[in-house]
Amino acid sequence: MIYFILLLVIYIGIYAILSLSLNIVTGYTGLLSLCQAAFFGIGAYTSAILLTRTHINFWWILLLAGVVASLAGILIGLPTLRLKGDYLAIATLGFGEITRNVLLNWDSLTRGPLGISGIPAVKVFGFTLDPMQKVEYVVFVWFFVLVTYVVLNRIMKSRVGRALEAIREDEVAAFSMGINVTKYKMMAFGLSAFFGGIAGTLWTVYNQSVNPSSFDFLLSVMLLCMVVLGGMGNQLAVILGAVLIEVAGELPRLLGFSSIVPPQFKQILFGLILVVMMIYRPQGLIGRRVPKSRIVPRQSAPDSPTEVSP
Amino acid sequence: MVHLSAAELVQHLVNGLTLGAIYALIALGYTMVYGILKFINFAHGDILMVGTYAGLYAYTAIQGSAVGPWSIAVFFLAIVVAMAASGALGFIVERVAYRPLRRAPRLAPLLSAIGVSIILMNSAAFLFGTKSKDFPYPFDNAPMIVKGVAVTPHQIMILAVALVMMVSLKLFIDRSRLGKAMRATSLDMDVARLMGINVDSIISLTFVIGSALAAVAGVLIALEYTVYPTMGTMAGLKAFIAAVVGGIGSISGAMLGGILLGVLETFGVAVLGIPVGLKDTIAFSVLIIILLVKPSGLLGRSEREKV
Amino acid sequence: MKTISTTIGKLFLCLGLLAFSAVGVWAGGAKEGATSSAPVKIGFIGPLTGDYANYGKLMTQAIKIAVEERNANGGIDGHNVQMVAEDSEGKQEKAVAAMEKLASVDRILGLVGAVFSSSSLAIAPRAQQEKIVMISPSSTHPDLTNKGSFIFRDVVSDDVQAKVFAKYVYQDMGLRSVAILYTKNDYSQGLANGFKAQFEAEGGKIVGMESGMQGDKDFKTQLTNIKATNPQAIYMPDYVAEINQILQQTQQLGMTGVKMLATDGFSNPEILQLAGPLANGVVYSGPELEKNPLQVAFETKYEAKWTDKPDSFSLNAYDAANILFDAIQAVYQSASPADQKSLNLDRDAIRAKVAAVEGYKGVSGEISFAPNGDAIKNQGILTVANGQYKQLGVYKITDNKLVQVK
Repeated sequence: MIYFILLLVIYIGIYAILSLSLNIVTGYTGLLSLCQAAFFGIGAYTSAILLTRTHINFWWILLLAGVVASLAGILIGLPTLRLKGDYLAIATLGFGEITRNVLLNWDSLTRGPLGISGIPAVKVFGFTLDPMQKVEYVVFVWFFVLVTYVVLNRIMKSRVGRALEAIREDEVAAFSMGINVTKYKMMAFGLSAFFGGIAGTLWTVYNQSVNPSSFDFLLSVMLLCMVVLGGMGNQLAVILGAVLIEVAGELPRLLGFSSIVPPQFKQILFGLILVVMMIYRPQGLIGRRVPKSRIVPRQSAPDSPTEVSP
Repeated sequence: MVHLSAAELVQHLVNGLTLGAIYALIALGYTMVYGILKFINFAHGDILMVGTYAGLYAYTAIQGSAVGPWSIAVFFLAIVVAMAASGALGFIVERVAYRPLRRAPRLAPLLSAIGVSIILMNSAAFLFGTKSKDFPYPFDNAPMIVKGVAVTPHQIMILAVALVMMVSLKLFIDRSRLGKAMRATSLDMDVARLMGINVDSIISLTFVIGSALAAVAGVLIALEYTVYPTMGTMAGLKAFIAAVVGGIGSISGAMLGGILLGVLETFGVAVLGIPVGLKDTIAFSVLIIILLVKPSGLLGRSEREKV
Repeated sequence: MKTISTTIGKLFLCLGLLAFSAVGVWAGGAKEGATSSAPVKIGFIGPLTGDYANYGKLMTQAIKIAVEERNANGGIDGHNVQMVAEDSEGKQEKAVAAMEKLASVDRILGLVGAVFSSSSLAIAPRAQQEKIVMISPSSTHPDLTNKGSFIFRDVVSDDVQAKVFAKYVYQDMGLRSVAILYTKNDYSQGLANGFKAQFEAEGGKIVGMESGMQGDKDFKTQLTNIKATNPQAIYMPDYVAEINQILQQTQQLGMTGVKMLATDGFSNPEILQLAGPLANGVVYSGPELEKNPLQVAFETKYEAKWTDKPDSFSLNAYDAANILFDAIQAVYQSASPADQKSLNLDRDAIRAKVAAVEGYKGVSGEISFAPNGDAIKNQGILTVANGQYKQLGVYKITDNKLVQVK
């Protein structure tokens, strides 16, 4: 049982990095992004291809995967800058699906649906990291979770973070205050994608194989759920969200009834949790603190930009 | 570019138009709901799926799979059953999962819709089985070959039914009192309420109509292909793109978007030689292009939506 | 304040859930050890939800019959056998999680799985590490059995199936121009590539190679393109859902003179019901239709119990389960009484017994394992006549030559 839990801890760590990265764009900047799985996949495939075709050192590969993913992030950021709320979400959805399609069809590079397998175990500081040794991997992955948390924490507490939050609260006001909205939105996407790519590399080296089916729209939705259910904007809450969602997803196996109860029940339960959570506690378990006073109550008018947070 | 004869071009056009008609029917539901609530109903495709199952059971229970003199009549009855089932389900889903969230932050109804989608898909798999079920044709679907172009009676039916449905909807929205109420509500919900319109009922009506139309599309799809629990996902996604391309919130937009998408997809592969594996990419690329050039869609009005 | 109390309330709820799960797990574990007749467990990993749920369902149903039969005959000397089925949802990471649970929680002695090659490749290292004998009933990726000595499969690998069929189509059917319409999944693409390579090596010509996505329903565009190349036949290494659409659409496009070729995916009897008369005349490579009494009996029993008809992968799953049970039983009998009671069996010995399988008469045909774990099964070439499967011949390849065995 302990090994199963360790495995989950490893996966939760990777999802935590992903949700922290999505949090930048959705939680802090208020942009609804439905393509985080795409950045994850790009990072994963970049590292997979480099690991199987070259002898480049792991740390360089990690960096490269992050960079390639962040380039993709900027690529999606650029044209979608003018888009508001729902339209942005739709555009990201489109981008995510295009990415998955490309991964599935670019056979010469990605081997299509066959995926890339047989990826060798990586050497870190001269030490071969064997995925079969779970404890080592838990430390390895959560080291990166910590790094991600600390780095993002610093960034979000700095001027950059304040600018992003200003954009989330009121884009027009932020603009009039002299904030270069364009630059910061691009930064948000690039940063978010970078860490998505990092997570992708960790995924590749642990599983030692990649397959396009892991990077679908459903994953982007799951990540969004992690961010929302935990409580957007709050980094620790987001990590908690990752824990919750993954545990909820594996609950039947954890509790031992996965082979007894019909498999669809787990999914139905998950859907129910989603609906119920949204109705009764949309701000997540540890929601962001909402300002107590408002001069003008918020209404959903037809021509106002989509609001993403309370 | 691939060299094509006139017959092949027409063939692809026929294929594209029928595909487009299906997208259009489903897109209508998305667009109407968005027009009023500014909300993307992710569960639309799955509501369609449930209705299709209802229609299938109704049809096979009465008619079986033999083609007889009454089969067409039973088939239309099955369509009515499907429409009723989806309409009712749409009504219930709106009441239970969306209405409580009308004043909630934007993400909440979105995630709720995703939750509903997951529930519906898996409940269907559990109740109806995971095996794809065949919906027998109520008539002999042998193609008629006209000058090298093969057209099946089914394709003709799709075009005919879609046309009838869309024209009826347009007339309803434009001419009837309820239609006017729907338009008013989508323009400005609060003012509509002040004018005495029962906004909640209008919203329910919107969901019912949209869902019913999608169910028709579902049954038509089922004839050609099969019925299975996850059939709503891809169809829903494509139709959603169609709605956005045409102008989300605009009925004519949904129709135009649907047809356009169907034709572009078919021609993109056949004429432009885009590899078939990337067929879906065509749809998403068109989406992105539209969002960049004219985000409100071809027939949409910037931000001020009309149904 | 309201926020705090709700948060605390939620915290208690989480803790409560965790406590509940801990109790559940402990109770479940305790229950196993308490009885003197602990069950012998084998596992299954495959898609039980999602688009391909039906494949997993058909296979688990087959294994359930194997389990019931074995227990009706006294199990393994008094110990009941049990299948623990886990859902992979068709995704490799879920398969990995399933594998972990089966390995470390259930401590299974053998595994029937996974269904998809990508999942099998992902779980193989863990199976090898835990010395769990793994027999895949459907993963045809050539690299799989090279992953370790504990990795087997009782489905014929892509290489062999495609090779045999390509030779047959060229030599016996005399066809020279074939178009391929495959799906973007590992099963179909592997076969498509294999067939193309061999057919061209024979001297034939692949005039068109079109693909669709897994789950696609509309192939008219691809077929219209294929129609323009005027092939003598179309090779469809797909699953029945796609084959059904392709058969119907070739007819709708008026391509009635073209020969339709398929692979073992076609052996799923669902296709006879879905495609009806259109299935007649399709020639496909599949498991031999022995119609040996074993297979007939099994299929009758399966249908009576489950209403569904089994597909070839289910037959493989049934055989795999039985091979595992036989091996476990043999090792059990030579174990010490203490080991027997605690089911502490020599896993290497189990593996050796499985590897030594030769000429096993199963419902899916006669099975022998090659040294690397691949199944040596003769390849059947079959067709459909009057809505029934009919065998045209059974073949194998010796010294790169096609040899007819039956």
